[in-house]
Amino acid sequence: MKRTFPYIITLIACLGCFSIYAQSVVRVTGTVVEKEGRGTLPGVTIATGTPPKTIGNTSINGTFTINVAPEATLVFSYVGFVTQTVKLKPNQTTVNVYMESDKRSLQEVVIRGYQKRSKEITTGASTTIGEKAIQDVPVSNVEQLLQGKVAGLNIQVNTGAPGFRGSIQIRGLSSLSVTGSGSDSYLQQQSPLYIIDGVPLDADKASEFGFQTQGPGISPTSLIPPEDIQSIEILKDAQATSLYGSRGAYGVIIITTKRGNSVVPRVRYSTQAFVNSPPKLRETIGGNAERQLKIQQILKNKLSEADLNRLGYTPFISDSLNAYFNNSVDWQSVFYQTTYNQTHNIAIDGGNQTFNYKTNLGYYTEKGVIKNTGFDRYSVNMNMEYKPNNKFRFFGALFGAVGEQSKGDGVGLLQKGVARNGQASSLLPPPSFYQATSSVVSALKTANNNNSRNLRANVEGRYEFVPGLALSSNVSYDYTSDTEDSFRPAAANNQFASVYGFTGRNYTLYNRNNLSYAKNFGSHEIFINAFNEIYKKARQANVMRQEKTANDQLQGPVGYDAYFSRGGGVLDNYRDERIASFAGAFSYNFKKKYIVDLSYRLDGTSLSGMENPYSKNPSVGLRWNFSKEDWMQNLKWLDNAGLRLSWGKNISPNGNLQSIYGLYNVNGSYNNNPSIGVDYDQIPNPRLKPTTTVQYNLGFDASLFNSRFEVNFDTYFKQVENMLIDRPLANITGFNKVVSNDAAIANYGYELALTVRPFKPGKNWNFSLSANGALNRDVLTKLPLEQYGQFIKFDEDARFLQHLVYRVGRNTLSNYLRVNQGTYATDADVPVDPVTGLKYRTGGRFFEAGDPNLKDVNGDYILDGVDYEISGNSQPLFTGGLSTNITYKNWGLNVYASYTAKRTILNNALSDRLAIMRDPFALTSVVPLENLNIWTQAGDIAKYPNPYDYARYDAIQPFRKDQTLWAEEGSYFKVNSFTLSYAFNKEAIRKIGLYNLRVHFTANNLTTFSSYSGPNPENVNSLGRDNSDGYPVPRTFSIGLNMELNSGK
Amino acid sequence: MSITAKINRVTAFFAAIILLSSCEKVFDLPEEKDYLSPNLNYSSKILEPILGRTTISRQGLNTDNSTWPLKFEIVNARWGDGRPVTDLFQTRPVWVWTNEYTGDEKSLEEIQAKRKLEDHPLFEVRESGEFILWASSNNDLITPRAADSSNLPQNTRYFDVKVTNTGGSVVLKDFQIRPFRERPYFPSNDKNDFTGGDAPDPKFRNNTFKKDFIRPGLSGVIGKTSNKELVSNDDVKDVVVFIRPFTGGNGHNLRIKAIDKNDVAINPSKFNETRWTTMLHAFNMVKTNEYVQYDVAYPIPLTARRTNYSDGNTARVALQYSRLVFGGARNTATLSLNFAIFREGDWEIVFKFLTDDPKFEDD
Repeated sequence: MKRTFPYIITLIACLGCFSIYAQSVVRVTGTVVEKEGRGTLPGVTIATGTPPKTIGNTSINGTFTINVAPEATLVFSYVGFVTQTVKLKPNQTTVNVYMESDKRSLQEVVIRGYQKRSKEITTGASTTIGEKAIQDVPVSNVEQLLQGKVAGLNIQVNTGAPGFRGSIQIRGLSSLSVTGSGSDSYLQQQSPLYIIDGVPLDADKASEFGFQTQGPGISPTSLIPPEDIQSIEILKDAQATSLYGSRGAYGVIIITTKRGNSVVPRVRYSTQAFVNSPPKLRETIGGNAERQLKIQQILKNKLSEADLNRLGYTPFISDSLNAYFNNSVDWQSVFYQTTYNQTHNIAIDGGNQTFNYKTNLGYYTEKGVIKNTGFDRYSVNMNMEYKPNNKFRFFGALFGAVGEQSKGDGVGLLQKGVARNGQASSLLPPPSFYQATSSVVSALKTANNNNSRNLRANVEGRYEFVPGLALSSNVSYDYTSDTEDSFRPAAANNQFASVYGFTGRNYTLYNRNNLSYAKNFGSHEIFINAFNEIYKKARQANVMRQEKTANDQLQGPVGYDAYFSRGGGVLDNYRDERIASFAGAFSYNFKKKYIVDLSYRLDGTSLSGMENPYSKNPSVGLRWNFSKEDWMQNLKWLDNAGLRLSWGKNISPNGNLQSIYGLYNVNGSYNNNPSIGVDYDQIPNPRLKPTTTVQYNLGFDASLFNSRFEVNFDTYFKQVENMLIDRPLANITGFNKVVSNDAAIANYGYELALTVRPFKPGKNWNFSLSANGALNRDVLTKLPLEQYGQFIKFDEDARFLQHLVYRVGRNTLSNYLRVNQGTYATDADVPVDPVTGLKYRTGGRFFEAGDPNLKDVNGDYILDGVDYEISGNSQPLFTGGLSTNITYKNWGLNVYASYTAKRTILNNALSDRLAIMRDPFALTSVVPLENLNIWTQAGDIAKYPNPYDYARYDAIQPFRKDQTLWAEEGSYFKVNSFTLSYAFNKEAIRKIGLYNLRVHFTANNLTTFSSYSGPNPENVNSLGRDNSDGYPVPRTFSIGLNMELNSGK
Repeated sequence: MSITAKINRVTAFFAAIILLSSCEKVFDLPEEKDYLSPNLNYSSKILEPILGRTTISRQGLNTDNSTWPLKFEIVNARWGDGRPVTDLFQTRPVWVWTNEYTGDEKSLEEIQAKRKLEDHPLFEVRESGEFILWASSNNDLITPRAADSSNLPQNTRYFDVKVTNTGGSVVLKDFQIRPFRERPYFPSNDKNDFTGGDAPDPKFRNNTFKKDFIRPGLSGVIGKTSNKELVSNDDVKDVVVFIRPFTGGNGHNLRIKAIDKNDVAINPSKFNETRWTTMLHAFNMVKTNEYVQYDVAYPIPLTARRTNYSDGNTARVALQYSRLVFGGARNTATLSLNFAIFREGDWEIVFKFLTDDPKFEDD
């Protein structure tokens, strides 16, 4: 059948031809397909004759129908692709053309408003990353692989916890919402919108509780196997994202998975075996050295005889012969480990333009470098496309994935138990068969089992009524079920086991109907597109907790005693929302030289206040490909160059049901009937608006010397308005606060991407070098009126007091800290109040030599709660990356690097490390401090105060965290990955039945260069706090294999 | 078109891009300003300092995280009836500390090296927003509050405080200062706070013939004739103390003496257990049959720092002697006084036995 099908088509076609045309003309139909991307190419020029005369273009879905002489020679040309010449065979009326891209970035095909377009005629700012750039590196979350590859996309791999995400921002800060306190302060992410094969996806799903993750916390982006990704496109400006409406305000990331397209079914297998090793951990002094150091510290810094006596009463220091205390245990090695992991991926695909299919099976397993943590992923991704003719197309896809994860006794991003235990005194006996402390049991034996099961189905049909006019419809359903089961054994929990359970479910039903019309009028091309989108999203999560279950063996069911039940119920991330949107776009170009894009979108969302659920989002984009001007034609070195200018508006609904409708609780009873009343903490705000971004973008693209040099430059100004902020209310209202839209910030910056290919592409050598960088500044432009331009978010954690300050006109997230001016070298350096004659003092004690010189901001010679100043910027100013790809014959070398510069990090980890010395009587370890510039004797000009003066510690708090001593420059340059690969000669491996065989060695997170004194300037939270409770980012070495079976003849 | 013209055009594009994008002014972003909180205020606007002492008071200043440095100015000082007030702002030299007084100084010169004279208005607000009434103020320079304890507006000094930073300025209105007349020493319960005259006996407030006295601490002091332990309280005053200036000193002398009921000075040597040299941070002790005299630095105590000679607020003088009592035990008797002297001069602290003399002899 397959073979006869073309003939039948030919026959029908010929029959039709006879009546209309003379015999010398045949009607030829076919499709033009991109060879690597396997997508169809619209707007390909088809020419014939000598000299070639254009006789047609491919349609928006890549098909064409032309009338030519039999056995004519057809020339298919398209910017960015190698021109293909096809000589028709006798009686051939169907031609499928595979066009190979000629690697010029400007001429890529991009996706705009769910429609493919040639990049040459787009007016928005975007960057595309191909599969090559993200292969070979084993990571649990594909976002990590984008780091440093796109100018303006700021990704910080700030956790090494397997299955968790780092932070991601396109063009600067998008959120003001900070939850938690101290090092656990969490900047609520507003991620870009992810579109996977046309299906929108909520990447922030697992992170709404900040560090206090409830449930698995597995991001949907962690469930996508990187091996299955064909390309990733990052849309940055408002024009590019305008048609994505809701959530498009923070940029859009479009992931396209691979499609089947090979007449011969292909079986490809790739695997990697990788080793994760923990980074350098805290140095610790062990055994007798620890004891001696503690004794010396007490002897030298005691204030009273009682302190001296206390030394005698503290057996672990004084009783060195006691076997219990006669140890030297490396506690960190109890909790940290080097792990061996693997990933496997099988892809089977095949088919042709009429019908094609793809199946991808993935398995990924990673054991965490902290024991009892890990992540496993099982995934299957299938799609098929059926296109019996040029009028009808049907596409179906099914994606299923299971993520399994263990967080140990931490909450995922934080491992407080491990961090605390890692500081235990080395003199304590190690955990053994006979004994272990409860905290060790807790960290290592807590059975924590998280599951995230994701199923996503997507069908799309398209019908072209008349050439150019097509209707398509897409329906997708995305369902995730999350569970967490945590069982803490009795030995870890005051002799009684406890149980925690979480179940959550989450779905998105999505429908898009699209009507588009494309037409060429000679030099004028128009494209009209109208569509509507409907979302229905719901989420509900429940937890339950039982303290004191019967025993370690009975892990459930556990409903035996209500007294110890700690309840549970529905979590407040419940949501049930609808979005209905209507959008239209009009695009016009004249000879691909002058391009105008107009779009308008109306978004109605149930997350906006009911008084005004609709928001209007227009956009305008202009492009001038000035290299096509006649007066530029003589510049042979200029391939193409264009200027882009765009303006647009976008929204992101940020509210939730509680902020609009209020929260209602069962509060007591009235007349023996339970009564339900509004929660008086937050007044409902029916006028809540979605966060709106208005963005201007000016861009310049050019390609010179036959694509040997490419440059993209963008500059933008983005106003983010209607950001959520809590406004306190006067108590006469009866409520505490209202969530309002009265904050706004502005981001502006510049992005530059350069690619250089120094050598002419030769047969053996290929070398390309890319660099990109982005400068982003954010400025707070508005706060609620009653705050008069400044709002301080006080850190409620008394151990930190690292306040945040929002001040209009300044970078948005500044720290509010005590200013450290060094250390008092001598007692005489401490200032004296001329009025009272008293020395500068705090907590009832005068400062002395060796104490930190903290700025007396208000000049009253007392360090108190007033002495804070605004300082620093937790958000980086510069981000970017470098990459180089070298191939020589069969060898390949890829090196990717990224950098972040000019951000303030608060090195809380160092503060913790120094503060370990605050109590020599405590059963904590001691750390070597020789390499730090600490004050030891009078006259020392030192950076860090005297850590050994334990007796005055509580009053002076020399290592208090709310001081700029810990504010360090967090710039770094990181070699993300290094891959060396070798592809075997095809002839040689054919003998063993293989078509392709490639091996590679990869090192990931190889090294970081930084002046930062902490372990890793990237492993800090999004507010720049280096948390010693965090999960370290491991270094990974892997050996991988890609092979393709010779499934052909 | 020539090649140069083309290149010029290309350059013009780049120039246009850079010009358009580098001009941040076009964004019309708000400028950063210092924050001046609308809640910035003092919770207490009535100052009642005592003249002649350096008093520093915060008056419950709450800057509500306004950005420092803040500039505080006293403006519009006036009487309640609108007359301008100027006496508060007369400039006089006053001691200011340049170094920390620790109590370990070995000489008067060493103490004096740690402070210097500076000219200051008698009343001022310093950069921290604290009000200072300097010790250079006195009853002559600043009329104290009315002796009849009334607070009539025309007798009350009002002023406003202007607070400024780059974010703007705010005028906090209607502060009042009602200075108490000088109390050059503590305890000053022998004097009336308002009039400066003798304070009435607390038990007989309306009896103008009975007055209050400074009372020493007494421990184990036995009366010579009564053979009873002497006491000094509201009902019975066997011993009282006078803190009074004397003439003939060098201007910074302090004398300790005790006088018996016949106003005859008791020889200090009788107080045989007294730690004359370490009791006070004083130098050049002169011991006569009538008194013990020192050179001291005023005020006493010098600062609020706890030293060997001060608990932060007062110095302590303790006259001690011991004697054998019935049963052969040795009893130590103490006459003590916690005191402070604010005005520089020649002062004597006199323990006066009113009803009976102390018994120094063994039983």
